[in-house]
Amino acid sequence: MTDQQIESQASVKRWEASAGLSADPAEVHEGKLRILADFCAKVDKEPDELVAFCILRKKETGERFLSVKRRETINSWLEEFAAEQGWTGKQAVANANVVRSFLIHNGILIQGPVWRG
Amino acid sequence: MEFKQVVGSRRTIRFFDPNRPVEEEKIQVMLEAANRASRAVNADFAKAIVCYRDELSDEVRAQMKTPTTTVQIDLAPVTIFWYGDTSFVNGAQGRLKELVDLGALPVTHGWTHAYVDDLVYPQVLEPLSKDQLATVWAVSVEAGLAIAQAMLAGVDEGLGVGLHAFNAAAVKDILKVPDHWVPMWILLVGYPAEDAKGGGQRPRRKLSDSFYRGQYGNPWTEIPAVTERLKDEGMIQEPMPADASERMTEIKQLADRFGLPL
Repeated sequence: MTDQQIESQASVKRWEASAGLSADPAEVHEGKLRILADFCAKVDKEPDELVAFCILRKKETGERFLSVKRRETINSWLEEFAAEQGWTGKQAVANANVVRSFLIHNGILIQGPVWRG
Repeated sequence: MEFKQVVGSRRTIRFFDPNRPVEEEKIQVMLEAANRASRAVNADFAKAIVCYRDELSDEVRAQMKTPTTTVQIDLAPVTIFWYGDTSFVNGAQGRLKELVDLGALPVTHGWTHAYVDDLVYPQVLEPLSKDQLATVWAVSVEAGLAIAQAMLAGVDEGLGVGLHAFNAAAVKDILKVPDHWVPMWILLVGYPAEDAKGGGQRPRRKLSDSFYRGQYGNPWTEIPAVTERLKDEGMIQEPMPADASERMTEIKQLADRFGLPL
């Protein structure tokens, strides 16, 4: 997906507005979009689909809930993604957390590693 | 620190300094504070397992994490896993009679060995211990009292504290928790990496919203002079300002330091 295509997704618009990404310098903003686009390409999902992936419905009631297993899957994908990108140390933590920021601002509570160096 | 200052200064700290160790002496102070808590039938309801983050293998720590607790567990140098012991009724007769003998449960209030043996144990404690809902209620209240004291003792020792839920099923196996312990909370402990005041006291409703005099519906009336005294003595502190820009700047700095999502 191009930056333009990715920004047309409702979940990305929501992220940009909620996180105030427009206040970031242009290269930082573009860098965050690129990380999200690359991650989406890796897992073969559009951003809106990535958000929807984390939400399941209870069979009995149809009630929506955030899936722990699905979020664990996202975390394992992010770990793989960071390794594939060749990121190490703080860069690996911070860049993977760009994707988590996108999910968090779309109502998906997800946490990953912390840089303690 | 004065008691009112301790109560007023407690915050749920979410950013701990991950590399500043917590002294075992201070943890002991917290455990002793829990051990001194009020408790029914003089039972040891509260149980705890103290874990130092860096003494746990990466594999074990990974099993303890959930998608919602990773950041706090990774930052806090110490995690205290709190449980409530549902076997509190064991030995209750002996402990109560000991209190009778010591005069803590005085005859003036009707306490005797016979009262313990013939009424309190068979008619109150034994049935309570067989009622699962009542047991969990009693254990939760009593453990909560102890946990609160430990938490405040930590604040008094200059530490940051925060209570959270945890993955009880995974932790039960890892820490070899007995079946009769009911999971309560984890208490994360460390030196705050954020401002210890956490940007100010969290919003609270006025006393009359929750507390009543005589009967429900007759709200407690605050005495303004007492409110002012509590401000002077530190129980009531500056609230978090409506303009959160200073706090948001601090959060951005912490996010940058720890590589956290913003």
